[in-house]
Amino acid sequence: MRDVFLQEALTIATTKFIDLRREAFEDFPEGEALRDQARAIKEATLQRLDHHLETLVANIERLGGHVHYAATSEEARTIVVDIARRTGARMAVKSKSMATEEIHLNEALERAGVTPVETDLGEYIIQLAHERPSHIIAPAIHKTKGQVADLFSREFKRRVEADPEVLTKIARGELREKFLQADLGITGANFAVADTGTVVLVTNEGNGRMVTSLPRVHVAVMGVEKVVPSLTDLMVFLAILAKSATGQKLSVYTTLVRGPRRAGELEGPEEFHLVLLDNGRIAQLGGPLREALYCLRCGACLNVCPVYRQIGGHAYGYTYPGPIGILLTAMLEGSRSVKDLAHASSLCGACADACPVRIDIPRMLIELRREVREQQIAPWVERVAFKVLARVLMRPALYRLAAKAGRLLQRPFARDGAISRLPFCLGDWTSTRDLPAVASRTFQERWSARRDLPL
Amino acid sequence: MSTKAEFFARIRDQMRKTRGLFAASVATRPEHPALQADTIRRELAERWPETLEKFRREFERVGGVFYRVASVDDVPSVVGGIAREREARELVSWHSGVLGADLSHALEAAGLDVHEMPAAEAEDAASRERLRAIAARADLGLTGVDLAVAETGTLILMSGVGRPRSTSLLPPYHVAVFDRTALVESLHQVGVFLEAWHGDGAPPGTGAVINFITGPSRTADIELTLTRGVHGPREVHAIFVEGGIRG
Repeated sequence: MRDVFLQEALTIATTKFIDLRREAFEDFPEGEALRDQARAIKEATLQRLDHHLETLVANIERLGGHVHYAATSEEARTIVVDIARRTGARMAVKSKSMATEEIHLNEALERAGVTPVETDLGEYIIQLAHERPSHIIAPAIHKTKGQVADLFSREFKRRVEADPEVLTKIARGELREKFLQADLGITGANFAVADTGTVVLVTNEGNGRMVTSLPRVHVAVMGVEKVVPSLTDLMVFLAILAKSATGQKLSVYTTLVRGPRRAGELEGPEEFHLVLLDNGRIAQLGGPLREALYCLRCGACLNVCPVYRQIGGHAYGYTYPGPIGILLTAMLEGSRSVKDLAHASSLCGACADACPVRIDIPRMLIELRREVREQQIAPWVERVAFKVLARVLMRPALYRLAAKAGRLLQRPFARDGAISRLPFCLGDWTSTRDLPAVASRTFQERWSARRDLPL
Repeated sequence: MSTKAEFFARIRDQMRKTRGLFAASVATRPEHPALQADTIRRELAERWPETLEKFRREFERVGGVFYRVASVDDVPSVVGGIAREREARELVSWHSGVLGADLSHALEAAGLDVHEMPAAEAEDAASRERLRAIAARADLGLTGVDLAVAETGTLILMSGVGRPRSTSLLPPYHVAVFDRTALVESLHQVGVFLEAWHGDGAPPGTGAVINFITGPSRTADIELTLTRGVHGPREVHAIFVEGGIRG
């Protein structure tokens, strides 16, 4: 919470995304109906997921592509590493993909002697810095241009000016070489169209096009829930995806890829592979987090979330941050992993309003909290504390007394309205967060004083 | 490693547990997409000026540069002008048969070094490599357009024989030439054309990729500062030929 730049960058970025999204939908009266339709398509697709995936697989194989099945992230890593080994790949260029972040593919490639190169500018920056993305669609928003310039200066052994234009140009030159040299192109997939065997990639920079055109092997890693039945369905999603993410009517590049290079084409891979990823998704088809399988990974719920806006993506501690990230983490890692994160939400409902497919995130967060409590995952100190709190909150007189007591007790710990270290066994609470101090006058006290004034 | 059978068995086990969250259906596909695509074209033949105006507005909004010329013979001088202002010489072009007009001589006369991509398959990997290297060092890439979408200012380009993917990707300046046969109004109409292309209406010689291009390559990854030309072209120019490219 002390990182002033991170705080400012987060506020500026998320506010800008919120405004752009609002403007995009204001200009687009049919947007609300399309959101309902997109939601219905997601649900209808899940109701016949086996059928749509079978169709997808059959079409990709008919086009000369190969399909692989990964139950876990470990299986997914092994599949990609095996493809790299078999094709003798030394370098892999990657276009931005949350799925490959999720399975921690880069480390596995490195261990196998294949150099992974992230080519989305933001991802490239954080790869050079050995960090993790902090926002689904703007992974390096936590870094200043000065920090990026220092990073580039060190990496390329020359002094680099802290100007985004200059920095982008340098990255273009460096990465252009990599695109032309790499043997393997690795992508995620925003969608896959069952009917036609089409994998769809959405980017603004053009790296998705490079990665699918220049290397001799293309591997796409995709969660099973990304399949859509037809091209007509696809257009419904394209009409709302970019508006929700960045406020653009469409992202700069939408690339529809059908299998390997065709006869007569100058570019395109000789081999095309699709890795279908389960990693906890399939179990939620009939589970409490089913609705989270609608997610398009647009990032709109992050931008509007009061908690995300304060703490940023890294504080969540997993690949997927923000409100939807808590649900996805529970899906991938089990509900135990989010026993604390399940509470990192004010349940204000802004996320559900912003979601292009209207995922009821607060409902599932409440269910997760209940599940966490039923499993008694919380330590006993916490359970007792919350029971006491419940009693206090139900008795106004006791609450007023507690506020007074709190004010006295916090004196040694509170500084600038926050408590950043609690004593004894309470210390765990403040190890990664600040506790707001009890106000010098509570709202109730101010309100009752104010009621005596003439309005 | 999971087999296909195990994978699908797990999916079906889960599907049996629930009937889903609510009754829902997917989008209704056009029944006869090729016929509907023809109808869209016919209807637009009458109101294309409004559609073109909308396209121009949206295309410029996303950072594109729009030109309107009377005849295809005017195209080379526009391209020559773009090149001169940027001190560019090397131009790589889709094959003239795909573009619909042979502009090479006129472009050469306008001071450009023109590399036209072949209409037949480059059989061996070495010659493909050589042709790709030309695209990688060219300053300008000249392409046609399969659909120009007014709603979003988008150019849609199919890859295929004589229409390489790299022409609109590797050079820093992309110049696209189109006429009213490419104009459509909405993303919804694009859906109809896509369905038609994937049915019986697939044009011969088409490749594995369809690209939607909405303005120049951009990023805002460093402090949200909008920067153009990250990996793809930093400028996109669209030339509308009023009299039609094929005359």
